[in-house]
Amino acid sequence: MTSSAVSSRTVPIRSASRSLLSTRTIVWGVLAVLTVWSVLPIVWSLSASLKTPLTLYTSGLVPTDPTLDNYYRVVTSDGFSIYLWNSFFLAMASTAIALFLSVLAAYGFARYAFRWRHILLLFILVPRILPRASLIIPLYDMVERLNLLDTYTVLVVTYTATAVPMATWILIGFFNAVPRELEEAAAIDGASLWQRIWGVVVPISLPGMVTAGVLSLREAWNEFPFVLAFTTSSDMRTLPYQLFLLRDSMGIQDWPLINAFTITTIIPILALYLIFEKRIVNGLTSGAVK
Amino acid sequence: MSIVPAPDRGTRLLKWSTPYLLLLPAIAFVAGILGYAVVRGLFLSFFRVEVWEPGEPFVGFANYLALFASDTFRNSLTISLIFVAATIVIGVLLSMVHALVLNETRTGRSFFRAVALVPYLVSGVAAAVMWRFLFTGDNAMAMQLVGALGFSSVSWLADPNKALIVVIMANIWFIAPFATLILLAGLQTVDPELYAAAEIDGANAWQKFTNVTLPSILPMLSLALLWLSFASFNMFDIILPLTGGGPGRSTEVLAVYMYQLAFRDLNYSTGAAVMIIILIINVALSALFLRAAGAQHHDK
Repeated sequence: MTSSAVSSRTVPIRSASRSLLSTRTIVWGVLAVLTVWSVLPIVWSLSASLKTPLTLYTSGLVPTDPTLDNYYRVVTSDGFSIYLWNSFFLAMASTAIALFLSVLAAYGFARYAFRWRHILLLFILVPRILPRASLIIPLYDMVERLNLLDTYTVLVVTYTATAVPMATWILIGFFNAVPRELEEAAAIDGASLWQRIWGVVVPISLPGMVTAGVLSLREAWNEFPFVLAFTTSSDMRTLPYQLFLLRDSMGIQDWPLINAFTITTIIPILALYLIFEKRIVNGLTSGAVK
Repeated sequence: MSIVPAPDRGTRLLKWSTPYLLLLPAIAFVAGILGYAVVRGLFLSFFRVEVWEPGEPFVGFANYLALFASDTFRNSLTISLIFVAATIVIGVLLSMVHALVLNETRTGRSFFRAVALVPYLVSGVAAAVMWRFLFTGDNAMAMQLVGALGFSSVSWLADPNKALIVVIMANIWFIAPFATLILLAGLQTVDPELYAAAEIDGANAWQKFTNVTLPSILPMLSLALLWLSFASFNMFDIILPLTGGGPGRSTEVLAVYMYQLAFRDLNYSTGAAVMIIILIINVALSALFLRAAGAQHHDK
């Protein structure tokens, strides 16, 4: 009796095995098409990055004579190490500051009832619906007045400000799930509020920290409108900005080189994603659902 | 004993202020930077700020009136509407189908789900460059494909209408994966007993979808629609590197129009007026879809 109840719940009843087979075929066919659609531009770009300008269009998806020469030219090109460092530094710095601020804010929201809690929560969350590109005009005006154009400061500050809302939102969910008893036990042992936050709550919420961290890194690493508007010198460029200029250059375009550059810029985030895939997907989903 | 000892009072004050102190740095950053930007943008839109003219005279709604009278603004508004409408319709169908087949798959589901989200991780610029490559040159992959289908193989990015199609496709490729993820999360919460009950009633696959699946995931569907409309209405990262708004102004959506107005034409105050219009439309879109999601939630 138990077994039949379980099976009717978990396995959808199908009338005939033939219809089951054809449904399977359709599902797999559609899934195959959509999976190809999802990766084709990347795979095509990867393939082109392994070719030479001469074999670019003649050999197919799998290059006949693959070469890493384009990647060598990318990493040894003028300024590449500067752009790489800028991207890396800006992503790390803004993520570190955003996580620090978000931990404190999320703890405040998760653990305290206080006046204007809802209003303040809105203050943190509503900015998520402000599109980046729409902010560059007034921010440019402010940055210019403060004499901060073309500095790390303006990029770190604006990247941090745009990363805090999502990080706070994700962390509130994780901090809510930390049992209060653990904190009370630590408090009895004499731990201060500061020690309880960083010594008890944050370590238990490590999956949340990873999710918020990777998403913030992704946002900063891929950022384009702010770096486009607020920087002028080539020393301040990030990888996406350089990629934008590269594809825009006049004359004959060196597509194998451009594609190698494209692939190089997306590899770090893809690698991070593949390592933490499950956590990120769950974090994104719960962030969207709540 | 009516006098409260000083240390006690201090502790109480500290206790009372703790949550505010914890929130202060984050609020200062978010409200200070982003909140300032909104207020300053609103302010700029009511004044005339010219780089080469001293003074910033108050002009009321003149910037907005000038916008609505200008052909280029109305052109951008129309293109934005086409761009958003096409992305929503195709994007929601595509992500729904993708989510449904992912949900049906048992073997390798986590692998296919991981691959489905990959475009979400690529930067907008990188996505734009990859799509540009697909459509550039007579022998580009997409051009061979459309050539085989019988279309003219003249570069699509040089043709105003076809360039818009390419931009829409690239946009869907870029933003639909997140909608797929939202819908998949919704599908996984549907009660299997409802399907079993529907099958006992003799429902076919389509009836099960419309009578069980759709009503169950309506809140998530609203969220997916909100994401698609929001992300495409504000899309900048894909369009500027892919077409720059061209050829002509054929792919110049509002965000790109605003950028060109402020940073190419150096017309900050009109650019700020466009920014405020974009924000108003965003708030309206969010309210609409969240209300739809919330209403469904209450119905249950």
